Amino acid sequence: MTRNLLAMLMLTAVTAPVLGHHSETAEFNPDTPVKVTGTIVRVEWLNPHVWFYVDVKDEKGNVTTWGFSGAPPGSLMRRGITKDVLKIGSVVNVTGARARDGSNNASSRSVTFADGRNVFTATNEGAK
Amino acid sequence: MNHSWLRSSVLAAAMTLAAIATVRAEDPPRMPDGKPDFSGIYTQPSTVNATGPRGNLIFNADKMAPVKPGAEGLLYEARNGDPRHDEPRAMCLPAGFPDGMLYILPIQIVQNPKTLVIIPELQRAARIIPTDGRPHREGIEPTYYGDSVGRWEGDTLVIDSVNFKRWILDDYHYTDPTKTRWHSDALHTTERLKRDGDKLLYQITIDDPKIFTKPFSQDFVLTLRRDWEQLGLLEYVCEENNRCAGGHCRPSDGQ
Repeated sequence: MTRNLLAMLMLTAVTAPVLGHHSETAEFNPDTPVKVTGTIVRVEWLNPHVWFYVDVKDEKGNVTTWGFSGAPPGSLMRRGITKDVLKIGSVVNVTGARARDGSNNASSRSVTFADGRNVFTATNEGAK
Repeated sequence: MNHSWLRSSVLAAAMTLAAIATVRAEDPPRMPDGKPDFSGIYTQPSTVNATGPRGNLIFNADKMAPVKPGAEGLLYEARNGDPRHDEPRAMCLPAGFPDGMLYILPIQIVQNPKTLVIIPELQRAARIIPTDGRPHREGIEPTYYGDSVGRWEGDTLVIDSVNFKRWILDDYHYTDPTKTRWHSDALHTTERLKRDGDKLLYQITIDDPKIFTKPFSQDFVLTLRRDWEQLGLLEYVCEENNRCAGGHCRPSDGQ
């Protein structure tokens, strides 16, 4: 039940419109959702959007780095998400919408940690 | 006789309740000079008359004034593929007014008896608004945020703004992949600010005689967030890390 609820919430987050300093839909395609599990290797806690990078290993051991944008630092902090939450080395599952240019960049929606904690990293709180 | 007494009692009770309601609605915190105190950090307007996704400013076209014949091309411009035109803010160009005022990031209002300053966290583009009755400045080049002066009408602060550069009007382009919505250099806005408890009732009247047949108004509600006072506004330097700007991720934007 809890898992289903979480799945539903995550699906909602992926499909909801997300707005910010730029037009998300111009840059990222909500119809190409991304869901990866990997390790946070870099965090840019900067304006106009936080970016964090996740190394994702496939079954052959090849590593692909995905870049995820998020809300501005101020918006995340007012939600109680500080820089310390996105710790380098943390194993995370990230959902988002992929960049329209097909690169391994995406606009993040939510980040779930190994212990089950889930944080909402998208720009607009209304996208919950 | 009894009925008369009852009527009088009901009337008195109603008047008392109305008086209480009036006091509650019109008794904001005040500055030492008696003017309402708007100081504080306010968040994300909820639209009353506007439509569109919550958070970004998108005027409700149904509630706009009619467009003058032949002026449609001034209000809407087709996207041309250049993000500096199609979505200037994504390239860290100015949000301008009114677009930068009603945004998902908070604004802070700082007030003294002669000036009210509205600072959006977005781009930190402070609007410094004299409230001492002075007229608009003359001989200033048109700007993205216009020239603003304020005056008091009772407990309502009325802000009059002119001298705008032609620029994006709102975030309409978030809802239409083909067009953007603009105001002309004849834009004249009138904002009416009034406190109602922790709500800031905000009305903006758009008067753009090159585009519309008459002025029109739309209403918003901003909410005072006392719990954000301690954190305060944060810096917002858009150029700092504007990756994938305008939808073009470069190799340096990742990995």
